[in-house]
Amino acid sequence: MASRFTFTKGTPQYRNYKTIVWALIIAIFLLIGFAFVDVGSISIGSNKYNLSLIRLNKAIAYGIAILGLQVVIGYTGQIALGQSFFFGMGAYIAAWLVADHSWPFLLTLLVVVPTCFLVGMLCGLPALRIKGLYLALLTFGLAALFPTLVKLDSLYEYTGGANGKLTGYKFKAPSWLPLDEIAQGLQAIPLLGSFFGDGPLSNREESRLWKYILFAIVAGICFWLIRNLIKSRPGRAMRAVRDNETSAAVSGINLAATKTISFGIASALGGIGGAIYVAEVGIASPDDFSSLVAIYLIVGLVVGGVGTLEGAIVGGLVYALVPDWASSTQSIAFVPERWLQGPTGSLILGIMLILLTLFMPGGIVNAFKRGTTKVIQIKDPSRLKTK
Amino acid sequence: MDLFLQRLFDGLTNGSAYALIAVALVLIFKATTLVNFAQGEQAMLGAFIVLQLWNWGVPMWIAVLAGMLISGILAAGLERTFIRRFDPADHLPLVIITLGLFLVLNAVAAIVWRYDPLAFPQLFPHGSAITIGNARLSWYSIFAFGSCILVLLLLHVLLNRTKIGLSFRAVSSNLESSRLCGIKVGPTLQFGWALAAAAGTFGASIYAANPVLQIEPSIMLRALIFSITAAALGGLDNLWGALLGGLTIGFIQSVLVQYIPFIPNEMTLTATVVVLLIVLTLRPSGFLGTKTVERV
Repeated sequence: MASRFTFTKGTPQYRNYKTIVWALIIAIFLLIGFAFVDVGSISIGSNKYNLSLIRLNKAIAYGIAILGLQVVIGYTGQIALGQSFFFGMGAYIAAWLVADHSWPFLLTLLVVVPTCFLVGMLCGLPALRIKGLYLALLTFGLAALFPTLVKLDSLYEYTGGANGKLTGYKFKAPSWLPLDEIAQGLQAIPLLGSFFGDGPLSNREESRLWKYILFAIVAGICFWLIRNLIKSRPGRAMRAVRDNETSAAVSGINLAATKTISFGIASALGGIGGAIYVAEVGIASPDDFSSLVAIYLIVGLVVGGVGTLEGAIVGGLVYALVPDWASSTQSIAFVPERWLQGPTGSLILGIMLILLTLFMPGGIVNAFKRGTTKVIQIKDPSRLKTK
Repeated sequence: MDLFLQRLFDGLTNGSAYALIAVALVLIFKATTLVNFAQGEQAMLGAFIVLQLWNWGVPMWIAVLAGMLISGILAAGLERTFIRRFDPADHLPLVIITLGLFLVLNAVAAIVWRYDPLAFPQLFPHGSAITIGNARLSWYSIFAFGSCILVLLLLHVLLNRTKIGLSFRAVSSNLESSRLCGIKVGPTLQFGWALAAAAGTFGASIYAANPVLQIEPSIMLRALIFSITAAALGGLDNLWGALLGGLTIGFIQSVLVQYIPFIPNEMTLTATVVVLLIVLTLRPSGFLGTKTVERV
């Protein structure tokens, strides 16, 4: 296939190309942040669609949880459905530490990560006993269990029961960060400036923007670590387990350790996602972590593409935006209004899940990659040609 | 003593309902070694069809039979469209498809019938059949248990005495060999799905006919977990195991959880998941299931 641009790995051109791509991604990311920090919604027809940073911050949280699913389902091939359990666990631990012990938010991750990791490893133990669907059954049970568990009277002191747990924590942008000045600068650009709102940022907008940047840094660290993990020896062991357990065992991979550790990592990522979610929402309430959430996270995994790291970002966006937009669609021509009320988001996500599995098993990311290879091709001389 | 009996009776009632859904799960697992996560929602949709027919003036038992037939045909269609094209040994796409069906069926039911609880036709006579002291065994419990046994007997006869039952058993024991023997594997599996959906619809109808319950789209969400545990407990590929598992889960809920003081009342779901964890860790084949030798 003749591509418009061809880069070979290891050459300076390739390094330049990578720098430019990353700079573009970061610039677009920041511009989106400044553009949507004050805009609540856009209107199409008579429907209002929410686009604020709150959605994007939630998307980051879901994206990290889906990254965990990528590790355990996408790379290790173990069908674990209970990510909402660990998502909720991370959220509640963070909320409890912040509200009752007045920890700063990011510090709670030091507790969330090891706890979720250990609990996840424990729950992964039955998966070692037997192959197939048993882990799926058990984790589905865990997901269904979580809301009733946090509503228990004996845990009321820690979880706040059915009302949920308020964190009461305010994120405050550090004073050295010139967010306000950048916003003013962007507004001063002729023609395009109006996209970035007007006037100085209010305290609330500033804190929202700071959260957006902070969460993205946390997510970036998670993605970087997982990418390195996948490329390293344990990551290759995981993929070997996924592709053929017998041959993996024969080549000296410790199946039990690989499976439990990957399940532990997935759970820890779920916990980080949950902690970020509660940092954004400000309250951990039982119904935000129902078994439906677990299935939605699976939708995010499949829509983005199973076994691709970028898929987690796409999946997080889909989960955060699609159900919300579906429920704010009140009228479409030719569709009876009755069908637009009720759980349309769930319907759309379910249909997406089925259609993508049938027709686009690689998800959106792989389809996109196939599209871009027509324009930009990257050669890797260290890889042997297998065709 | 009265209280104990009453709890025993309650366990019997719930257990029978779980067993019926578990039977549906077992049928599909036997056919395709797949756990159908959409089974509960299929059953719920079937029960709503029964309700709709009844509201249109169809006599209730004919409505139940028609509902079973309709959901059976629907399930056969689902199997043909979504399930058959995948390799049965590769579980992930199949699990994802059933989860997708779960979302879609649940949403469709909620859009068509809304979330308001609706009264289901009372399939069985009211009142209590036997009163011992203060403990009452209602007619509903007796009939629920009886219909559970009836369904299992019918399935037993169907699977062991008929031609299609024979080919179903052949396919579930070895797919490749039965294809070589000239059995039409696809239609047989399709038949298994239809049978499972019909059994599930019957189970959901019985469950919703409980005088203390009303039907709404999320009625099967909790019941599905209990039924999955029941099926795993009895052995995922044994029909009578489903009954045994269902009753065990029913009794664990109503008796064990009530009598162990440090387990709070709302812990039934937790207790069930813990039972599932223990069973899967210590005895993955359940009470009556076939032991699999597939371990690396």
